[in-house]
Amino acid sequence: MQAEEFMLVRDLVRTFATRFRVESADPDPSHRAAAQKALGELGLAELRGSTPPDATVQECALLAEEHGSRPLTTSLLGTVLLAPELLRLIGDQMSPDQVSPEAGPSQTIALAADLRFPGPAGTDLVAWDCEGADRALHVAPDGTVTSLALGPAVPSADLLRGIRSVPPDSPAVTLGRLDADRLMHWQAYALTLLSSELVGAARSFVGQSVDYARERRQYGRAIGSFQAVQHLLADATVLVEACTSATRYAAWCLDHEPPAQALTAARVAKAEVNASALDAVSIGMQVFGGIAQTWEHVAHLYLRRILLGSTTLATTADLLTTLAEPEPVR
Amino acid sequence: MTVTVTAATATDTPLDFGDPADLDQLRRRFRAWLAEHPLPERGADEPLPVFLHRWHRQLHSGGWVGLDVPQAYGGQGLSTLHQVAISDELGACQAPGIPRIGYLAHALLEFGSEEQCRRWLPRMLSGEDTWCQGFSEPGAGSDLAGMATTATRQDGHYLVRGQKLWTSYAQFSGLCLLLARTERADPATDPSARPHDSISAFALPLDRAGVTVRPLRAANGDDEFCELFLDDVRIEESERIGAEGTGWPLAMTTVSYERNALDTGHISRYGVLVERLRRSARDRRGELPDGLLSEIGRCYVDYQVLVAHTRRRTAERLAGRTAGPESSYDKLLMTRTEQRLYETALRVFPGEFFGEGESSGGGPLFGDYLYSRAASVYGGTSQIQRNIIAKRVLGLPSAG
Repeated sequence: MQAEEFMLVRDLVRTFATRFRVESADPDPSHRAAAQKALGELGLAELRGSTPPDATVQECALLAEEHGSRPLTTSLLGTVLLAPELLRLIGDQMSPDQVSPEAGPSQTIALAADLRFPGPAGTDLVAWDCEGADRALHVAPDGTVTSLALGPAVPSADLLRGIRSVPPDSPAVTLGRLDADRLMHWQAYALTLLSSELVGAARSFVGQSVDYARERRQYGRAIGSFQAVQHLLADATVLVEACTSATRYAAWCLDHEPPAQALTAARVAKAEVNASALDAVSIGMQVFGGIAQTWEHVAHLYLRRILLGSTTLATTADLLTTLAEPEPVR
Repeated sequence: MTVTVTAATATDTPLDFGDPADLDQLRRRFRAWLAEHPLPERGADEPLPVFLHRWHRQLHSGGWVGLDVPQAYGGQGLSTLHQVAISDELGACQAPGIPRIGYLAHALLEFGSEEQCRRWLPRMLSGEDTWCQGFSEPGAGSDLAGMATTATRQDGHYLVRGQKLWTSYAQFSGLCLLLARTERADPATDPSARPHDSISAFALPLDRAGVTVRPLRAANGDDEFCELFLDDVRIEESERIGAEGTGWPLAMTTVSYERNALDTGHISRYGVLVERLRRSARDRRGELPDGLLSEIGRCYVDYQVLVAHTRRRTAERLAGRTAGPESSYDKLLMTRTEQRLYETALRVFPGEFFGEGESSGGGPLFGDYLYSRAASVYGGTSQIQRNIIAKRVLGLPSAG
């Protein structure tokens, strides 16, 4: 995209996120559908719909950061950025006129029941980040992509992100198969965009805690004037910057480097985010003190998103043991 | 509640992490030169700084030092990125890096007169003059502005009296970038007087009468750090860099380059050790406990994040941003990487605890491990970096 065009799209997402952010952990049930509908109307699913895509991965990563910066019930990753990329990769363009509007073109992605990348056949699956989705795309370890029907909602620790079961007897429609390079690209892309959304959440929450430290007074002065608090916030800031550098670079690699290199960069980014975004949010909560321990406060919404996100797609243990050895020479 | 992201950290537009087009060509030319001019052999009794100095002269003869310094002053008139690429290439083949003179050169370029740049920079780049940095003092470490060394003006010159500490390799240096107090502002009579405002910078030739250099043996056995005793040393007015009282901004410029991941050349050294750990993890698969395997993975993540962060800095510098208080992020991330890396390396290679080493007990990795403990101290402690981020990036209020 041209720079001006990108900034326009970014501001659309920013405005959307401000307007549809939830104020508490109990959003009005009608809110979810209305917000997802409004997100759909932004037309972002087109960004990665064609080859070459209209938006770079780095641009999509920046949009994911914007979406992550507010507590939202909407699915930007699953239905808007991930599933369309998968469909693009398997060459199944599924243009809107091929699908009847009643059925809805909305797909999200299927993950293992523990939210990691799906394992060998026979493992339980769920549809992840599925607000507004009718079906879920499952990528088997061999690259085979199938489309599955969805079951009832699965409540989870992340109160905002939609997850639904995939019934074991769900009829699977095979859509195609990713070759080795496309499979690596897909994994790198998913890891990078999820990392970006989590970085956006951590950056925003740390920013809110810095603002709070300026306003909140104890012992007759702003708590942000105490060095103990300052050092906590400085550490959280450095952690967010480390996450930002790693995810931006991983996104750039997807745009410019071979898939194997992009996958390594994406794994590095996810490993950094798993640890550092969580630490940063924990620090933010500490600075907010008692108020952040309440149901009303947004802190736990950020914490829940980042904590569950840090185990989604790939856990720290998965990533660190993989990264501990040099990449096999292909 | 409104969410404000500080301007310094708001990077919400795409960045180009790629190398500028001509860098690839430069790298290839350098590799070809390196193949014909390999690293010299170090003599059996040759001190490391002497050996590194020979290497410096060899690199300079090929035109690989001071790439980012204007041609008028003996450089190549290219960008910092070009110099960084050369550091990177040297690291990749495990050769010692570019001599660490970049931050001194930047200080001269920014604060020195035309005449001073012409006089000192070409000889600094060529290695004819070796420089050291006389900033810290026994009573002025983190609180650098509290320095006590004075330069008293007398008949068109200065007399300098005081003591400097942690002056790396002063015993092998010909010149010292020295900070001293030219007038002592008295807070009793002038409440607005800051101790920072009376500091001036000088280029002091170390062979001058009244200078005594005493090496200080470090914990790892190396004689890197020195004490510098200054007893009524005469410094000419023409040897003052910048106006009187501008020593503090000069020092801050110097340290912010010293903290910037781009300018220090440590990163390639980390990369070599990380790959050694990863090869060991592969070769000893099943032998290393899972916890240690994860630590190696974590070291690799730290290192790659630092590389990504440096590339982001590069992209930002290309987009027109200069080194500022954000270089404290770089310093903290480098410290994190270095300290975990050497701790982990000792666990992977416990044999390094034994042997006599070059200058202390234990193997070479143990010496490097001890040096890594200094990473959170030199160039501003980790606590000072946090203060800088809190005050100058986040804008948090001061106490009182």
